[in-house]
Amino acid sequence: MMTYFKIAWRNLWRNKRRTLITSASIFFGVFFAIFMSSVQQGTMQNMVDNMVSFYTGYLQIQEEQFNENRSINNSFIPNEYLINSINSHNAITQYAQRLESFALAASELNSFGSMILGIQPEKEDAISGLSKWIIKGNFITPGSKDVLLGKVLAENLKLVLNDTVVLIGQGYHGVSAAGKYRVAGLLDFPLAELSRQVVYMDISNCQELFSLPGHLTSIVLMVSNPDEVQGAATLINQDLPDELRIYRWDELQPELVNLIEGKLASGKIIKGLLFMIIGFGVWGTIIMLMSERKRELGVLIALGMRKTRLTIMIIIESAYIGILGILLGVVVSLPLVWHLFINPLRVGGKIGETYTKMGFEPIIAFSMQPEVFYSPAITIFIMFAIISIYEIWYIAKLKAVIALRA
Amino acid sequence: MKVIEIKNLVKIYNGSEIEVKAVNGIDLNFEEGEFAAIVGPSGSGKTTFLNMLGGLDRPTSGEVNIGGINIWGLSSRKLIDFRMNNIGFVFQAYNLIPVLTAGENIELIMHLQGRPKKEREERTKELLDAVGLIDRLKSRPNKLSGGQQQRVAVARALASKPKFILADEPTANLDSKSTTGLLDIMAEMNRKYNTTFIFATHDKRVMDKAKRIVTIDDGKVVEDKWQ
Ligand SMILES: Nc1ncnc2c1ncn2[C@@H]1O[C@H](COP(=O)(O)OP(=O)(O)OP(=O)(O)O)[C@@H](O)[C@H]1O
Ligand SMILES: [Mg+2]
Repeated sequence: MMTYFKIAWRNLWRNKRRTLITSASIFFGVFFAIFMSSVQQGTMQNMVDNMVSFYTGYLQIQEEQFNENRSINNSFIPNEYLINSINSHNAITQYAQRLESFALAASELNSFGSMILGIQPEKEDAISGLSKWIIKGNFITPGSKDVLLGKVLAENLKLVLNDTVVLIGQGYHGVSAAGKYRVAGLLDFPLAELSRQVVYMDISNCQELFSLPGHLTSIVLMVSNPDEVQGAATLINQDLPDELRIYRWDELQPELVNLIEGKLASGKIIKGLLFMIIGFGVWGTIIMLMSERKRELGVLIALGMRKTRLTIMIIIESAYIGILGILLGVVVSLPLVWHLFINPLRVGGKIGETYTKMGFEPIIAFSMQPEVFYSPAITIFIMFAIISIYEIWYIAKLKAVIALRA
Repeated sequence: MKVIEIKNLVKIYNGSEIEVKAVNGIDLNFEEGEFAAIVGPSGSGKTTFLNMLGGLDRPTSGEVNIGGINIWGLSSRKLIDFRMNNIGFVFQAYNLIPVLTAGENIELIMHLQGRPKKEREERTKELLDAVGLIDRLKSRPNKLSGGQQQRVAVARALASKPKFILADEPTANLDSKSTTGLLDIMAEMNRKYNTTFIFATHDKRVMDKAKRIVTIDDGKVVEDKWQ
């Protein structure tokens, strides 16, 4: 018949309003924490994804000087052993070779500094989905002699499709590098910085321009899952010749990592404070609840209910309050976060521009990572565990006589 | 048969200023089937005495032997179990657990004792019937009058089949009709089950029903008479 659960459940509804208010405060905390974690994680993940797929990849193999000094003099020719090694690791899903340098891009009217990216068109497209940013013309094919220009760069140079762009730079060890190329397509990235700077061409075309046949500045590696980055790096590292190094994306983008860590830390502090406020509120409820029932608890002890059982009964009751709040929080936030995960918010106006200028897609993305949901639940659980220490202590010191006389 | 044997029981409260000898050396025995009233002026030590008998308040010195066991020599956990199995309580007020029905209040103690469901249910009905409240089996305490609540409390006290029942001013909050009703029921239970009842009271009507009256003053027994 009446298990402790039943008694606890009925006790829970003795003061409906108080129970509901307390659960509502937990609900609010859980909801807020889920929402905030989701948007933070989502934004961060989005930044990382942008960065990783547009630019760094999850891993890069470079000549060991290149990260410090991005000169084509610090390029390398990959040996077969290395390529075989990359091919042999299952964790690595894709890879692409790049030769990257700087040059002046010029038209008859104008010239601008630009970033020249020699790429393997198909492989690069598979990694970064580069071709989806084409707004005019066509993506280049392997072996093509044509180039793709960032839209803003083309506008600045006053060039349209099929016009000729002249690239002037320095080749290997100071050899002069110059060439004329047909503009085969225009790229409009959400990252404005890229649209203003980039010139893409086939890698062999690029090697020719800079007099660097067979040379690369980097091999970009993708893994199926971010968790595999470190493992893959370790494996590849064993097969690298001395002059090459493998970098994780976070080593290539320390500023981004700092930014993310800073944001996550400030988020944790806010959530910590929130849960502390809620925790004291819940504690207050428990204190009231226990002192109101002092006499009744005394009667139960007098009748012969062991204190351990009594404590369990009280803990079950407070657990109901917590579970109610957590469930409500998760149930309400889940569909909302899911919806926003599928349809990220577009950021318009000035803020959107700022995002774009900073090199990020102007969207507020949401994350559906399980930890977004379980970590507030765990926090609440810990909170109740701490509060239950009070309950244990209160009942341990409760004397039936005093309770009855009170 | 001797149920309770009290030897030189003393309780001293060390208040902030003065020390109060609430119970000051009581020697008493109670036999099976007694129906005894502890009387005396307010502050004479009745409640303190009953609480020590019931294993609720630790004496400063002396012994309470119940069925040959010195209860204050037990560990606090053993003492709780001992209370559950041997002593029934009826308090002055707030006896019943408000979230449980009359029936569940009675059943609870048998539940704690680990009695099988069938036995619990049968005994609950039997006891509620005995106190004239079988129709209130499913009522919560707040739907019962004060007198009815005390009757349920008596039924509950009997439920665990205790050696004796302690009642501290069980009628203090009752009108005279309810008081008579409760007393009749306690007397009836005493007859029917031969359960020992010991109650503290100020109430003349309660004293009149008692078979034995122990008068306490200043923590000492000043009179012990049978009527
Ligand atoms: N917790 C306590 N601390 C200090 N003194 C106490 C405490 N409890 C009771 N006393 C004192 O002990 C004495 C006996 O009190 P007790 O409650 O046993 O009397 P009583 O006979 O039950 O009185 P009443 O008829 O008013 O219920 C009183 O002087 C009382 O003030
Ligand atoms: Mg008293």
